[in-house]
Amino acid sequence: MTERLTVTLTLNGERRTFEVPPGRRLLDLLRDDAGLTGSKEGCGAGECGACTVLLDGVPVTSCLVLAASADGHEVVTVEGLLQAGRLHPFQDSLVTRGGVQCGFCTPGIAVTGAAILARREADPSEQARLLSGNLCRCTGYTKVIDALRDSFAKGGHAKS
Amino acid sequence: MPSRERTRTAGIAWDPGPRPTDHGPLGGRHERPDARAKVAGSTRYVADLALPGMLHAALAVSPVPSARLAGLEFAAARAVDGVEAVLTASDIPGRNQVGVVFPDQPLLVEDRVRMVGDRLALVAARTPEAAWEASRLVRPLLEELPAVHDPVAALRPGASPVHEGGNLIRTFKVVRGDITRESARAEVVVEAEYQIGGQEHAYLEPQACLAIPEARERITIITSCQCPFYVQQAVARVLGLPLAAVRVEQAPTGGGFGGKEDYPSEPAACAAVLAFVTGKPVRLVLPRELDMQASTKRHAVVVRHRWGADRDGQLCFAEVETVMDAGAYIGLSTVVAERANASSIGPYRVPAVLVATHVAYTNNLFGGAFRGFGAPQVTWAAEATMDGLARRLGMDPLELRRRNVLDDRRRTLCTGQRFPGPVLARECLDRAAALAGWDEFHGRPRADSGPLREGMGIGLVLYGCNLHHGGQRLDRSSAVVILQPDGSVVVRVGLTEMGQGNLAAAQTIAAQALGVDPAVVQVWQPDTTTVGDSGPTVASRGAHMSGLAILDAVRRLRTRLDPVAAELLGCRANEVELAGSLASVRGNPERTVPVARVASEMAARRIEAIATGWHRTRPRRFDPETGIGAPYEFYAIACQIARVKVDADLGLIRVEEVSAAHDVGRVIHRDAMEGQIQGGIVQGMGWAISEELKLDHGRLANPSFTDYVIPTAADAPKVRITVVESEGASGPFGAKGVGEPSLIPTAAAVRNAVCDALGVEIDRLPLTPPTVVAALGDRHPFAWLLSERRVDEHGRLATVDRDG
Repeated sequence: MTERLTVTLTLNGERRTFEVPPGRRLLDLLRDDAGLTGSKEGCGAGECGACTVLLDGVPVTSCLVLAASADGHEVVTVEGLLQAGRLHPFQDSLVTRGGVQCGFCTPGIAVTGAAILARREADPSEQARLLSGNLCRCTGYTKVIDALRDSFAKGGHAKS
Repeated sequence: MPSRERTRTAGIAWDPGPRPTDHGPLGGRHERPDARAKVAGSTRYVADLALPGMLHAALAVSPVPSARLAGLEFAAARAVDGVEAVLTASDIPGRNQVGVVFPDQPLLVEDRVRMVGDRLALVAARTPEAAWEASRLVRPLLEELPAVHDPVAALRPGASPVHEGGNLIRTFKVVRGDITRESARAEVVVEAEYQIGGQEHAYLEPQACLAIPEARERITIITSCQCPFYVQQAVARVLGLPLAAVRVEQAPTGGGFGGKEDYPSEPAACAAVLAFVTGKPVRLVLPRELDMQASTKRHAVVVRHRWGADRDGQLCFAEVETVMDAGAYIGLSTVVAERANASSIGPYRVPAVLVATHVAYTNNLFGGAFRGFGAPQVTWAAEATMDGLARRLGMDPLELRRRNVLDDRRRTLCTGQRFPGPVLARECLDRAAALAGWDEFHGRPRADSGPLREGMGIGLVLYGCNLHHGGQRLDRSSAVVILQPDGSVVVRVGLTEMGQGNLAAAQTIAAQALGVDPAVVQVWQPDTTTVGDSGPTVASRGAHMSGLAILDAVRRLRTRLDPVAAELLGCRANEVELAGSLASVRGNPERTVPVARVASEMAARRIEAIATGWHRTRPRRFDPETGIGAPYEFYAIACQIARVKVDADLGLIRVEEVSAAHDVGRVIHRDAMEGQIQGGIVQGMGWAISEELKLDHGRLANPSFTDYVIPTAADAPKVRITVVESEGASGPFGAKGVGEPSLIPTAAAVRNAVCDALGVEIDRLPLTPPTVVAALGDRHPFAWLLSERRVDEHGRLATVDRDG
């Protein structure tokens, strides 16, 4: 019997406990153990950002985080951005501004964008820099950046 | 009076007709139907699907590019806890063959390895970790053989053959006009040899599929792909099943760009064989590193040019010889070469043309479909040569192009085909130039001291929409439209959504044709049991071919809908119009009944409310020997102008802005169209400056997003778009494809801008910092240091041992 660790974390606002092998990645805990498949695996090496989640409010690539290290911490996934079934203001702007194409990078971008709004980072070049950890091969980023500015203008940072 | 009413032509499709004057969704920005689920993370891609008892597949692949396979040892692999099957070529139930066009590629190697990544064995295990661990424990007994990695050398006598019968796969030609006479007339001639590198698709979702067997009778495949029908054919072949026993459902697909045209047949065939043998569902998701190594790439090519013009800058002749590196298997390489061949001259009028496009086997990465399909490479070369001619003539590159582009008077393409419809090359050039501020930029003095230099360059493309003559047997498409009793509408088309917006386009077209709100139209991804084989979603044909099939289905549905509406309205069936969610009487807009009411009435009367639609392109004449004739049904033109800043010391390029003018016929969905242009430009820019496939004896040395550098949000240029709309293109409501014309001219425009900034010619792509610095030669401030280095064959700087 392989060794199991007990991991207790606040996942999208709910206290959850999981038994995991020591090498389990946070991404696998989310997708396979918690059934939250919104976070995607695009590279498994922390390069593409499709698995981005918030760990205590900070965007991290969950494929590089050991599940055990999230013990006692707060994790928010793309599923957790929704409040009472309503999209986060940035998610809503991504939809209305045409910032979604194939959608595989979109959950990670939504999470990073929400963090940028929460930081109230309004400088466009700094926004682009903060988004640069999330690769997108479809949109050319224009409409993603438009959506971020749009949600900022609509006061999304105050609501997040 | 609304102009919605259209007449039928030749029983094929509706005449696109004049632009509708009503407030239909066409050309609008309504929400994409797939956006909300995707942004919420609730769209289920293949890797998000699991079934009870499902196994995970892994592949054991060759680490060397050329070898004889003497045997395989897999006792250690079988011993890994959780492994349920390790299979080799002899376990394949049907034929061991996956090539899409030509049967030169086995699913699993029997005796000869021809590329790094060739599959040797398949593993299925209860966890992905166990499967991949076992795959690494499969030990091949390989006797290495000579390999060839340079496509030009591969064609020389004595080169080691990749397959029996030599390395020249095929040569395509265009021969037209009197080259001898025209080259004697030319007063300025540019000769060049361009080394143009390949490109990795870098779709964010890796290749993935799920195979679900039903005994050994039939199988369902759910896969990320651009062509479920190719997958169906490959799986039927390897399992020895009839096509009808293989059901392929396209899963939501996380990017394709051509990389999911033919290649998904291979992982699907692997999963299908494992599923058949184990009797269990099998999921295969390629790890990124293997995905990058083993899947198809944009072809690396060498292009030789000799183009001449007279003193006035009128082109006299153009000679183009291209060698395309197919890699170890043909795949789609001959088809890509056909397009490269026909696209070699661009949208220019040239009296004498001699084009030869050779396709060569090597032991390199496997070339295949990639957005633009051979056209980006030859367009890059053509636009580089046009700038070279402008420089020698002392002429503005914009003016040289203005003098040579096809127009309504001179509309004969290099293949002899007359350009169908309005020729909008000069409009695209002028509008892009106005948007970019070409004259102002070139009119003002530019700093030439200090490391930062500015430049502006043009790229122009002529793109043949739909499939080439050689593939026209595949150029048809299927649609199904079902009007539900509540007035909502189900649409199925045989072409796929991979991010580009085909669902949005199909939804818009169906809504426009039925006069209903797009929100009531649900377009579902295709499945080979619900629609007919519609060929691949490539060649910018998705919206066009889906749309015309939908219009045909709506036309057939209306033969049953209109009489019911007429009865409710008290008019004749041929007086019924559909718009604004209402059926109304032509000429009497006061008399209306909701379309939803007509739908419920049809249901109540048990009237068939499902209709199929079909579209096929018209047959064309083309001579494959001479390349003369009509390779494509119709064409789109685009012009992009890039403005760059180059740090001449460091060789770093910043693309500041790209101004794009696109001849799109008619806009179907404005956000989707803009998204295609913006995304194509950034992908083209990556190919131009940073995306380098580093090959080490056929092995990809940089199979990761850290080492293979695609653009990020911080690299994105400002993109300005102007759309040149026109009447009469043969697509739905007059639309033309935009997916590929968006990428093709970008790299050329960036290259020309960098050359403009630095005052040098660059003959290789990508323009990585070492390439830029090397091109500056003696003019680089650290030339004294660089003279002690040399540029190796891949355009990288290598330090030369001082004593060596």
